[in-house]
Amino acid sequence: MVDRKKILLVDDSSTVLLMERMILSKSEYDVVTAKDGLEGVEKARAERPDLILMDVVMPRMDGFEACRKLREAEETATIPVIMVTTRGELASVETGYASGCNDYVTKPINGLELLAKVRSCLGQ
Amino acid sequence: MPSDPRSPRLVPDLASGGEKHRELQKVNERLRELVASLKSEQERLAEARASSLPTPTPPPMAGSEHGAIDLEKKRLVAELALAREAIDHASAERERLRLRLADIEAENRRICDEYVAVEEKSSELAQLFVALDRIHGALTRDEVLGALQEIVINLIGTEELAVLEVQGDRLAPIHTFGVDPEPLRDIALGAGTIGRTAATGVLHLAGRGEPTPEDRDLTACVPLKVGDRVYAVLAIFRLLGHKPGLTEADHAVFELLSSHAGIALHLRAQTARPAAAG
Repeated sequence: MVDRKKILLVDDSSTVLLMERMILSKSEYDVVTAKDGLEGVEKARAERPDLILMDVVMPRMDGFEACRKLREAEETATIPVIMVTTRGELASVETGYASGCNDYVTKPINGLELLAKVRSCLGQ
Repeated sequence: MPSDPRSPRLVPDLASGGEKHRELQKVNERLRELVASLKSEQERLAEARASSLPTPTPPPMAGSEHGAIDLEKKRLVAELALAREAIDHASAERERLRLRLADIEAENRRICDEYVAVEEKSSELAQLFVALDRIHGALTRDEVLGALQEIVINLIGTEELAVLEVQGDRLAPIHTFGVDPEPLRDIALGAGTIGRTAATGVLHLAGRGEPTPEDRDLTACVPLKVGDRVYAVLAIFRLLGHKPGLTEADHAVFELLSSHAGIALHLRAQTARPAAAG
């Protein structure tokens, strides 16, 4: 029996959530979603996903802050986080790594790149 | 004259005859042993021939060292021939496996290329599905404009865009993001790239045709149509810094927006008016 990994998608854009869901669902991943950083942290605690895809710019709590919160909590500290950022500039990427993310992808999302990074983070 | 068997000389003769008899018996026994060993050697050789194996060194015959050496030489030559045959066979097998490996590697590369192509196509189709879903899932004109903005930001890769509606012989911005709307107010139909796109209904992509000074930051101009009529124009300015240029997948999204976003805007405007009037 295949061990289906669960991925939490955190983004305030329905377009991005739908796009990510389409790319990941066809690759045998279970997907749960959250619309901002705060909901993302709550869902991460409740769902204990194997991986989180986290947008950066979101209402209520941005991706960097959400990532820091995840790292602070014992139950979510080790969940790998991939930041999904519109800006691929070095400063943004460095801030992401400083907040505890494991990797990042830039928008617009490239399906192959996203799948490769997801598989890498999941050790597949 | 025949000797008399009873003569006294017979005793020694008989005595010597007994010795000879015993000697003969011994010789006879040795001959039997020799015959037996020859038979067994003959059988062994027959078996060796049958199994095509070189015969082991036969026990050297008395006084036949030279023959034994020849036999050993023949055996070694036969072994050498067999070894050469095995080496030739192994070399041929290695070459066959090398060619098979090259075939498998080529097949693997072809499958990888096909996989990448299929994934890219799949991603492109997913983009189109998402764009359609977002546009037609919007219930109001503002939602359509919001969906259009999200599609352009997240699927195309820009944070500078404007939607200009055709109003008579002029164009007016009804939605902007990341750009100053002032220079876009009151563009005449047919004037500049945006006006020309509205007048002709032809998709404009940067790098095709002569750019005008006001088009310096314009990457694409998409006519949003209702049938053959241009309802509005989607102007896309600078792409995100990490996006090198437009792709075939982007062109497909533009084609889809051209034929669907105009209809969605038109329909939501139509349904909004009676509600607003009521």
